[in-house]
Amino acid sequence: MLKLTEYEREMLEGKYGRFKQVALQNVVKYAKVVDAEELVEVTKSTLYFGAHSYLETCKSDDYDKIFAKMYLCTDEDVKIGKFADNCYCQTCVAPCDQYDYEFNHLPKELFERNKRYLKRTLEAGCALAGSCTPYLNGWVPLYGEYVVTSESSNVTMSNSAFGARCNADGEEAITWISICGRAPKWGYYLPENRYADAVFHVDCKSETRFDWDIIGYTVGRLLPNHGVPVLDGNFHRPTLTMLKQCFTAMATTSACEMCHIVGVTPEARTIEEARGNKELRAEYTITQADYEESYRQICSAGSGPVDYVVLGCPHYSLEDVQQAALYIKGKKVAPGVEFSIWTDMSTREMAKESGYLDMIEEAGGRLMSSSCPLVMDPIAFAHVNALVTDAGKQAHYMHSSMDPARHVPIYYGSLEKCIDTACSGYWEEEN
Amino acid sequence: MAEIIKGRGAYEGVMEGEALVLPESVQGWAGLDEKTGKIIEEANSKCGAYVGGKIIILPGAKGSNGWASHWNSAAEAGHKPLAWVIERLDSRCAAYIVELGIPTVVETETEACKVIRDGDLVRVDGDKGLVTILKRAGE
Repeated sequence: MLKLTEYEREMLEGKYGRFKQVALQNVVKYAKVVDAEELVEVTKSTLYFGAHSYLETCKSDDYDKIFAKMYLCTDEDVKIGKFADNCYCQTCVAPCDQYDYEFNHLPKELFERNKRYLKRTLEAGCALAGSCTPYLNGWVPLYGEYVVTSESSNVTMSNSAFGARCNADGEEAITWISICGRAPKWGYYLPENRYADAVFHVDCKSETRFDWDIIGYTVGRLLPNHGVPVLDGNFHRPTLTMLKQCFTAMATTSACEMCHIVGVTPEARTIEEARGNKELRAEYTITQADYEESYRQICSAGSGPVDYVVLGCPHYSLEDVQQAALYIKGKKVAPGVEFSIWTDMSTREMAKESGYLDMIEEAGGRLMSSSCPLVMDPIAFAHVNALVTDAGKQAHYMHSSMDPARHVPIYYGSLEKCIDTACSGYWEEEN
Repeated sequence: MAEIIKGRGAYEGVMEGEALVLPESVQGWAGLDEKTGKIIEEANSKCGAYVGGKIIILPGAKGSNGWASHWNSAAEAGHKPLAWVIERLDSRCAAYIVELGIPTVVETETEACKVIRDGDLVRVDGDKGLVTILKRAGE
């Protein structure tokens, strides 16, 4: 039986307006589906707003109507009100760059419609961040804080690296929660569900960000359904940028929402602490052979000409942009190749002041913000004949996003390999 | 005698229909095409299957947080499943159950993806938490 506070009951009765009432009605239904006994106060949120293509099945030009139907899940004409006062809200990625549409072959109409939609949610209290890695620029949850996020890798990052409390939910539920400031107390909000039940001994390369991308992909493909992995072994200690790569790839091949790393994440000072008394469901050693197998699954076979090279999935940190800029400095992107690096607006601005933006542009590349090829309208890459990326997530999903009849190869390599390929215009198969 | 799988009723209502079993689950984002209602995840053994009007049997969700969004968008385009049977509930599925409001049984005592087969005629009773296999495919 769900218990509500007086404030929650008043909201449910409509005292704070129909917008909040509908949102809380949905959260209460959600609580019943998951058998939750109470709601918790959520204080941080990232939201998947803008003119995303999946919204187009709702046949309306009126964003308030689209919002009511697609986010609030009601046929009623509920006008957009305000997000919860106690919950800081900012945007995740949008379907086009914040400043440009021509480079990505997108129609001006979409660019302007996206701005219009984002202006409306901004008025409702959702700040413009355009970031899938919000923890790089101030959206940093504290240990034990209840948060929601539209980005799957940020669910794992929030739970694992910061010790915050986060469930995946889905874009609509996150929207309801951000409007009423309440979420059902269940899933990873409960301490007993946070213990590991799958042990992974890491015994493969782990020195670079690329290595951690493959480790994450590998853990995800081996993890039992709904498993909570713990990684141990004699691995090279990961940094935050390595973890973001690892958790992003892991959330691609599985529904993983929390991953302990012994000696690195706060609830895993020891493997015993990470596991608690939970029954062990699986135990693996990730060998170099497993690493190579994941690589083979992600990367198309063979060599060949390329015309589209993209870095920044998830969004590059300033550290990542610096690494790319210093590597490409003095080189030239081959004619006919589109080379882009994706980040958020604030990182782009810092990269500009640091001179990295100029280095990338002088080489013939672009530093884009607030989106990425995965979430852009497919028209953005309909012309692409061969794609190169340094992210398992990007490669994995782009296989499904490309027209299968065209058999577009998708190559996968380190930052350096990707930049070398952009400059030669040709992918050489790794031996 | 009809086979019965017990679980917990997560959303009320009773519905009968043909089962589509997704043992590998399916991505929402880049897994389900909302405009056609078909599975487009290349590596999935059920790639090409149509989800509309089916009783969907799956172990849970996977992939992006946009999982529910794509199922919801597909439903808006007319490709709405009749009911759900979910072996183990996760928050991506829970959100979607609320969004569509169709009968749902979760936390099944046996692995529903192994017991139920594509094309079986199935009744999902979200009030009592029961899934009944009324007729096997091909019988």
